[in-house]
Amino acid sequence: MTDLPDGVIVRRVLEGDPDAFGVLLSRYRDRMARFAVHMLGDRDEAEDALQEAFIRAYRSLRRCADPDRFDAWLFRIVVNRCRTAAARRARRARLVAGDAPAVGRAAAAPADPDGWREEIERALARLAPEQREAFLLKHVEELSYEEMARITGAGESALKMRVKRACERLRGLLRERQYV
Amino acid sequence: MIRRAGLLLSWLLAAAAPLRAQDPRLAARLDPAALRSVQPLVDSARALGLPAEPLVSKALEGAAKRASAERIAAAVRALLADLRTARVALGPGADGPAVAAGASALRAGIRPEDLHRLRDAGGGAAVPLAVLAELVARGVPADTAVEAVLELARHGVAEPEYTRFERHVVQDIGAGIPPGVAAATRAAAPAALGPPAGVTRGAPPAGRPRPAPPAHP
Amino acid sequence: MSDLRGDELLERVVAELRRPVALSPDFDARVMAALEPPSPWTAPLRWLTRPRTVTVSPLGLLGAAACLAGLVVAGAALATRALRVLEPPPQVAVAPAPGPRAEVVRFVLAAPGARRVSVIGDFNDWDAEATPLRPAAAGVWVADVALPPGRHEYAFLIDGREWRADPIAPRAPANEYGVPNSVITVGARSS
Repeated sequence: MTDLPDGVIVRRVLEGDPDAFGVLLSRYRDRMARFAVHMLGDRDEAEDALQEAFIRAYRSLRRCADPDRFDAWLFRIVVNRCRTAAARRARRARLVAGDAPAVGRAAAAPADPDGWREEIERALARLAPEQREAFLLKHVEELSYEEMARITGAGESALKMRVKRACERLRGLLRERQYV
Repeated sequence: MIRRAGLLLSWLLAAAAPLRAQDPRLAARLDPAALRSVQPLVDSARALGLPAEPLVSKALEGAAKRASAERIAAAVRALLADLRTARVALGPGADGPAVAAGASALRAGIRPEDLHRLRDAGGGAAVPLAVLAELVARGVPADTAVEAVLELARHGVAEPEYTRFERHVVQDIGAGIPPGVAAATRAAAPAALGPPAGVTRGAPPAGRPRPAPPAHP
Repeated sequence: MSDLRGDELLERVVAELRRPVALSPDFDARVMAALEPPSPWTAPLRWLTRPRTVTVSPLGLLGAAACLAGLVVAGAALATRALRVLEPPPQVAVAPAPGPRAEVVRFVLAAPGARRVSVIGDFNDWDAEATPLRPAAAGVWVADVALPPGRHEYAFLIDGREWRADPIAPRAPANEYGVPNSVITVGARSS
């Protein structure tokens, strides 16, 4: 079953085989995880958001208009869950006196001897959320602007501007690294 | 007048006898340092006519989570401040549950002036305020959530309608609709609302026909 | 389709960000354990397991639970898979003074490997012993609690030491004690 197209697997799930959803889960889990972790800057929060996203996707599977593009539909849910989680954290940071981290913990990652990974995560965290989101979807997840427009609900020119600004900002924040 | 005298009296008594009227749950679960800090805060709330139960609950939560006395006191103090702000925004007519729900809304990022607007529109009760806090918790931007609940309040909907509205919004969000869009869409849907109340305080939204006021006797 | 050709710095950034990210080893298991079967004929059973399905008076609580149990058992004869996640609730925990408009809410947590799980919240005075969950199936823990209307904060406690917020519920905005709470709102039922 692991090499069947998404549409077929979605139909199997809807016909009463919840275990088939596991195939979709393992197919897309890593990719969604990569986006969520970089978007939220915190692995635990990303896991919660992802878990919620997959469960919601399962529960509203009937509403997936194009099962052959299940990944785009799932991406939209993941993007939404991440926005909710980030909004929650921003409110918490305002309300709680003390050290609610504005910069998330770096994701548990392969060895990072010179701190490059952590520096990137810190720079990402300093982008405006919609810029970070657009940058990750365009350059890390390599989606087209058309797909991104469908997933985020923003127009293509707005998305292009966000990506451009994100790149400029990242260049500025990480400039010293050019000379290492 | 008599009520105020009674409050003043209980204030004096509370000040004079710190061990009076302890909630047995606090005495049983808090360590002495925490109890010493928290009890006066709970007494203040009662004296001010604010609901004390949220404060007791906050303290018990800290005890369950093994927080230090300082942290528990800070948390209770912060909640007391929110309850006071909510009381001011919602007015003296608001009951305990409404004030508690108002404090939750403030903590979710709603501004006091928006609580005030809700009160003026007839939505300053516990259920609309709880729905408001819930929407924001689920990612609806605060001002969108306020406008949505205001819309329902202006239409004078009954409590179950607020709950039904919230459930629909939550479902829509789960299906992938951006939270702000979901809330705004559902609030505008005529099926969710009855006809506008006969005479409303604020102007109805532009584009809707203004209902004729009821005939006065 | 990268627009970054020639931008060496950002190419390096993106190469680093494209590396895979590890999740907890039990992530898949947790997700799968939380799924219910979606088949149309189990819709009535799903309705029974969905939180906030029932408004009962305290007098009717045990009667309602017995009816739920009866319906569930009848449905279960047709659905062995449904039974994996679902079972007749033998009794319903009652929050202190739930009152006449209480609703029965089902709390569910996937915690394979846990020895005991309880739900702790404002409805049971944050008492760790008051509302244990029972193991329902394959690492899934369940408790049915009658809650009065209103907003409630809660969290799960696993093996007496690990606090966990409910992955499916919204979070409470404040987090003064370092452990986030989840929120559930029990409202007046629409007719």
